[in-house]
Amino acid sequence: MIEPVALQDFFLSFFSAAMVILCGALYALLFAYARVRRQPRLMPVAYLAYLGLVASVLVLATVANLFATGFWTLIVALMLIGYLLAPHAIWHLCVGTHADEHADEEPRAFRQHS
Amino acid sequence: MAMPGTLDSANLNGGQKLAVKYFSVAVALFGAQIVFGLLAGLQYLNPDFLYGVLDFSVNRMVHINAMIVWLLFGFIGSSYWLLEDEAGIPVVGLKLGNLIFWVFTLAVAVVVVVYLLVQVGPGDQSSIWLINEGREYIEAPRWADIGIVVCVLVFFFNVAATFAKGRYTGIGGVLTLDLIALFGIYLAGMFYTPNISVDQYWWWWVIHLWVEATWEVLVGCLMAYGLMQTLGVRRKIVETWLYIEVALMFGSGILGLGHHYFWIGTPEYWFTIGGFFSALEPIPLVAMVVHSVFDSGTHNMKNNNHPALAWIIAHAFGNFFGAGVWGFMHTLPQINLYTHGTQWSASHGHFAFFGAYATLVIAFFYLALQKWRGNVWMSGGLAGAWKWKWALGLLNLGMIGMVMAMLVSGYEQSQIERAIEGSSWVGYFVAQAHPWFAQGMWWRQVFGWMFAAGFVLLVWDLLTLGRSERRPAQVHSEPGVH
Repeated sequence: MIEPVALQDFFLSFFSAAMVILCGALYALLFAYARVRRQPRLMPVAYLAYLGLVASVLVLATVANLFATGFWTLIVALMLIGYLLAPHAIWHLCVGTHADEHADEEPRAFRQHS
Repeated sequence: MAMPGTLDSANLNGGQKLAVKYFSVAVALFGAQIVFGLLAGLQYLNPDFLYGVLDFSVNRMVHINAMIVWLLFGFIGSSYWLLEDEAGIPVVGLKLGNLIFWVFTLAVAVVVVVYLLVQVGPGDQSSIWLINEGREYIEAPRWADIGIVVCVLVFFFNVAATFAKGRYTGIGGVLTLDLIALFGIYLAGMFYTPNISVDQYWWWWVIHLWVEATWEVLVGCLMAYGLMQTLGVRRKIVETWLYIEVALMFGSGILGLGHHYFWIGTPEYWFTIGGFFSALEPIPLVAMVVHSVFDSGTHNMKNNNHPALAWIIAHAFGNFFGAGVWGFMHTLPQINLYTHGTQWSASHGHFAFFGAYATLVIAFFYLALQKWRGNVWMSGGLAGAWKWKWALGLLNLGMIGMVMAMLVSGYEQSQIERAIEGSSWVGYFVAQAHPWFAQGMWWRQVFGWMFAAGFVLLVWDLLTLGRSERRPAQVHSEPGVH
């Protein structure tokens, strides 16, 4: 069974849920931009956005009582792992799907940084 | 051949001629949606307005049904638009397709007239068959339901037979399979049962699985074609991404259905399923962000149709915020308990439908317009470009304003009606009388007028843009279509 959000936590619940998606998008955006433009100094900012996502997920999990059961705690863990790895995975897919397009070009912006 | 800039059907292939008919009706129904939405909004502010003449229940129903049908017309038109380009041969069964267009349009007109003329009646079989089936979003009477299925089947035949006879592309394959699901799922909303939980269980199959699965995949196909047309992206790339998107959408979207089963009398395990898959649903959108940045880095946004690309970009943002952010804010059952069915839902619904679907259909209007005028220049320095820019701005700002206004009202409803008053009948009226709710409804109306002004400008622009243009369209350095 679920435990509903307390009345005093309504705003935090909505706000933190929105911040989960926005921080996730900002992390993905900065991650991709740092690699496309070869600006590694932006990468720490991307991970800062991910930290914002972690904080938002923890706040959401607390106010929505997600830590009360094992299943919802597992969802929290999966969300954190999923959002961390998704931009990496999608980047690999981008590089793979565009490989032919840039095979004859100087290996610059689209190369995977190791 | 007419001079470039003149609307000339000789510029179009058979499927595209049929497509512009669908687009024309879609624009008219879009207008009807706005008019009835404005009337329904006014009735929130003054409940006596048109009471007994055109009741709120009827206005709201026509507002919502017009949206479903104009988007459906837009999708069908867009599919016919790309069909011959993709398959490389004329549409198979085009005469039947044309006939069905007129039948479909006539049926829609009759259904709307009956909605307006017969606003109340007995809840018996005659009403279900002839007047109104009573299921929100798909109120069309049973005869029209059967007609819709026949029309969609003919549309499916046109698409499947054309791809089967001509070239079978990745876009064609996904589109054909998606149309089977689109048609099949509609059947789930057609039978009658007196048990409201069972009825809602199947009804959501149509509503959720159309909107968050088959429609998403359909717009994925349209987006893929649109990116090849406007940016010259290579087919191999867009088709690979189409497959990835389909996998992500279906992987999270199908069982995301569970978030509609929280409160309709279904077993508790739907909390688990709905919560888990709803948490997954934003992932395709985050993936889209990475790919958009990657693509803009590779193509530098050079394009041959500025209005179409602007609406495609609006689609990417609208889909992300409307479906992703606004959806996830209230999708977990722990908070959805309070928000379900309030103005929160309306706020999310407006943003998501407009952002994910209306924007992309409008992008196709502009693609069609360009070719209809003889494939004229629609890039930088386009004469009269202020109209499409203002239409884009007014429609998007109007929508965002409405969404924010409904968000404030919905927040107040979920607190006062649901949490404090315990979803009681008294709580409903207390919440409706609260200043936050009333002010939200006023602001919704103000931004509704802004949206309507944007629509008028959009129609004016579609009638005039490119009329004085004589230059041919910008050519891609890497043609992506073939």
